[in-house]
Amino acid sequence: MSPRASRKIPDGKLVRVDLDVSDRIDRATITGDFFVEPPSARAAFETAIEGHPRTVDRDRLLDALAAVEATPIGFSIDDLADVTREALDG
Amino acid sequence: MAEWTIVDSGTYDEATQQALERVLLDRVADGAIGPTLRIWYRDRPAVALGRYQAYADEVAADYVASEGISVVRRITGGGAMFVQPERVITYSLYLPADRVTDDIRQSYSDLDRWAIETLQELGLDAFHEPLNDIAHEEGKIGGSAQRRTDDAILHHTTMSYALDIEAMLRVLRVGAETVSETAIESADRRVARITDHTEVSRSAVIDALIDGIRERHGATERKLTDDELKRAQALVDEQFGTDAWTRQL
Repeated sequence: MSPRASRKIPDGKLVRVDLDVSDRIDRATITGDFFVEPPSARAAFETAIEGHPRTVDRDRLLDALAAVEATPIGFSIDDLADVTREALDG
Repeated sequence: MAEWTIVDSGTYDEATQQALERVLLDRVADGAIGPTLRIWYRDRPAVALGRYQAYADEVAADYVASEGISVVRRITGGGAMFVQPERVITYSLYLPADRVTDDIRQSYSDLDRWAIETLQELGLDAFHEPLNDIAHEEGKIGGSAQRRTDDAILHHTTMSYALDIEAMLRVLRVGAETVSETAIESADRRVARITDHTEVSRSAVIDALIDGIRERHGATERKLTDDELKRAQALVDEQFGTDAWTRQL
């Protein structure tokens, strides 16, 4: 299953999450017109999302995303957790 | 020491332009050059893709292939821009990090202020619209994007002077989210072109932008050095001109 979901943040940017899902999140891809420093944080966010069971709750995703050292601009890790959860929920 | 340098010469393809961003940002970071304004001149239409955008979501791949429009991924985030020679105005600011506030949202407003004031002096009611837009009440005139390293900041902005909107809509895929957003927010989000609101020529806008930096900071003009161009060409070959870079997402 390869669900995707996205969100346009008011006064911010668009973030989109594409997932490959089995019983776990096998792969996550984050794209959009957002900004983040350093640029390597985008892939680090993806890694933080990957590996969780498909039933992972929002708070667990948020904890994993919060461990990434990054300055998101135009979105927040809350948005990423929400969009990921939304993709999982289809 | 506070004096700026203005680079206002040379016409290059999109890959070279985007490579020059890396080269000049790094030169400021190294302390080799000080605050610099560069005005871009392109030789053909192109798409500048935001660093984190998915190629397939943003670009009408068949159309750009058939029209020979090059697509190049930037080192900055933000959205895809369709650019045409003589029909857009792009400028870059390269600044030592200590010259810019750490508050990134504020810095977008700060760094475009001179350009917005310049447009206002030319009779265009432009204003900053967070996060990173230059806007008119009838739509978006331009968008900015930044890349920050520890020591330097790149801030570049593309404004629509007389962009062919129909061509833009053929080249760029407008995402479903954006469409519904547009529908909800009515026509406010349209592209606003400088020529829709003033008679001023493109070169007069550019001259006014350059004068604006001169008046505020003092500035000397120079061309790109052979070394800068050589470095940019190497980066085109290794990175900016390759599918591995541009189609990575």
